[in-house]
Amino acid sequence: MKKVLRLIVPVFMLALCFNVDAQILGNLGDVEMDERALYTMTKQMGQFINRFNYEEDQYGKKLNSNDPNFRNPEIRKNVLPLLFDLENPRTSGTLRDFFVEDLIKNNQFMEFLGGQWYSEVSAKFKWKGKMVDISMIMALEEEGLGSKWVISNVFFSEFQKYFPQGELAEREKHFLHPMSHELDFMNIYKIFTDKQIVEYYASTKYMPDYLTLFFYEIKQGNLVFDHVDSVKFHVFQIKNWYFEVSWFNRDGYNSGWLISNLYYLKDEEKEALLKLYQPTK
Amino acid sequence: MKKVLFAIAFAFFALTGYQAFAQEPELSPERKQAIDSLALEKVRDLSKYIKLIGSKNTPWSEANRVIDRAEELFAPDAEIGVSSLSKKKIEYYKVRQYLERLMRLNYDRVEIDWYKIQYVSDLQRQPDGTYVGVITIFQTFKGYDAEGRLVYQDTTKKDITVYVKRKETQIGGRLIGFWDVMLGDMRVKETTMK
Amino acid sequence: MRVINTNDKNYSNMLKQFKSIIIVAMIALVTLCGATSCNSSKKLSKKEYKALVEQAKKDLTAILNEETEWTLEEQLERINEIKKTDFTKKNPEIVEMIERAELKVTNAIAERDRVAELKRIEEEKRLRELEEQSKPQTGLAEYFNLIANAKDVNTANKYIAEALQLFESPDAVVLVRLNNYGDYDRPTTAVNYLNYLKDQKKVTVNVDNVKFNAENKITELELIKK
Repeated sequence: MKKVLRLIVPVFMLALCFNVDAQILGNLGDVEMDERALYTMTKQMGQFINRFNYEEDQYGKKLNSNDPNFRNPEIRKNVLPLLFDLENPRTSGTLRDFFVEDLIKNNQFMEFLGGQWYSEVSAKFKWKGKMVDISMIMALEEEGLGSKWVISNVFFSEFQKYFPQGELAEREKHFLHPMSHELDFMNIYKIFTDKQIVEYYASTKYMPDYLTLFFYEIKQGNLVFDHVDSVKFHVFQIKNWYFEVSWFNRDGYNSGWLISNLYYLKDEEKEALLKLYQPTK
Repeated sequence: MKKVLFAIAFAFFALTGYQAFAQEPELSPERKQAIDSLALEKVRDLSKYIKLIGSKNTPWSEANRVIDRAEELFAPDAEIGVSSLSKKKIEYYKVRQYLERLMRLNYDRVEIDWYKIQYVSDLQRQPDGTYVGVITIFQTFKGYDAEGRLVYQDTTKKDITVYVKRKETQIGGRLIGFWDVMLGDMRVKETTMK
Repeated sequence: MRVINTNDKNYSNMLKQFKSIIIVAMIALVTLCGATSCNSSKKLSKKEYKALVEQAKKDLTAILNEETEWTLEEQLERINEIKKTDFTKKNPEIVEMIERAELKVTNAIAERDRVAELKRIEEEKRLRELEEQSKPQTGLAEYFNLIANAKDVNTANKYIAEALQLFESPDAVVLVRLNNYGDYDRPTTAVNYLNYLKDQKKVTVNVDNVKFNAENKITELELIKK
């Protein structure tokens, strides 16, 4: 019953917010159809950001910065819950409400060029004759007079197999002693006998560069792009929070780009994750 | 001493470089509105052309002329990426190829309609300064056979890239500044709406 | 016979009275008739008359031969002055000259006034036409509507062909202004724009400024978004 209520109430609120009659405000088409669902759909990630900040109204009309409704916290409080996937308990319960409260209280907004948000492009490649899944992590980078998307990292299970984490105790056993240089490094041949752990002989801080591996395999012709499966977004920009945004292609008043996952994550804890998404930052 | 001079020189160039970047003029809300309207108009023009091209009432010679006009709206390297609910993989078409395919669809009658709603993104700048945006529109397509039966229908979401660049040209001895609006890649994705 | 004694006192007084009368009469005569122009009563001397004839002939000849720098009105005035002298008895040729000169001058005045009137009318027309030209061409706006609302392609094409006659060439420049900040759409040509109206079936602009060549054909058309 609670689940049903949790779904119905926001949908009802949505219907109120987007209480438009069919004869609307757009001027493109010439056919009268029920467009309410299309108005409620968060059609672009850009629209997600504008709605997240309440910088546009429910019809998609941009608000001027001196409009009293621009970033209005009261309106924002009502609109923010509607940007969640209401069919997911994780994104439609108290955690969501806590998140919304925190956003309003601390006046937090998302900026397109504010950094710390990434796109994950899940794609299919052909690798050594078979179809494999690779996720390309994209970041927005400012350059010249504007910005562009760049590949900041790649997740490919096959690459990761080559660089297992390994037990610390085991790692600590493998090293070249500090006087090796006096013997012309005659002991160096040993590190190549077990290729699986050769990286243990790199710096403790060493992190494998999967992006370079990826580019290398592409250049070698071992890895060939086939198609994109899906796109989603990872947002770390909000203080102490992480959320994921995915595309929901469905009927009704809760569709388009919506928050599909939400975590309370202190900024200190984000560091390690951010290094994974953007190692060179 | 050398280090100090170097530091000063570095700071100087760093600051002037920043100033040059920061001096790029920002568009006023009114001008942004005019550009948005212009971009939307190009998309509306395209929708009219698509309707003409797809209609079986359009004479072949007219349809070809309209394909030329529609193609002129697009940047030369623009592509159309189409996917459906059953076939998620994107099929890529050149603009002309897509429009000619539309013209040759094997239905006796075709109805192409556009929802009034459209969404215009904020314009972002590319590294070369060209403004780029995306306009989202929704189209319904219905195909009928000779007996008037509805044999196919879909509703697609079209995300159309729009490039806007400020250009100048000489006309009648005077310099005219204009906004060159070109359409770029178009993503066509079937929705669950019927 | 009585002998007049000039030394007689009575005679002297009579003389004095006679002299006074003469003086008064002369004063009266001068006052009434003027010093030189009492024609009716003053008789011209032969010399004076000759001088008048010579001057009259000279002036009338100049008028008849258009060798004078006097204005037409001044010529007429001179003729009227000459007419005040009666030349009929002694110089009928001057009378004939006067008639001819008078006719010539009055005709010239009439012709001059007629030409001036014509010029004035023409100038008014020219200014009116200039004003018409600087106004947006209502003809063009009508064509726009006809083309956009044509019932079919052939009708629209017919109107396009007609509208193109207003232009210097089908490639005449058409500019569409978006606002008052100097923002324009990409420049196009007359034939492309008219075909655009046919395809889009909508007129979203007003005619704002038109440039013509010497043959009154449009060389450049500026439209503004409604």
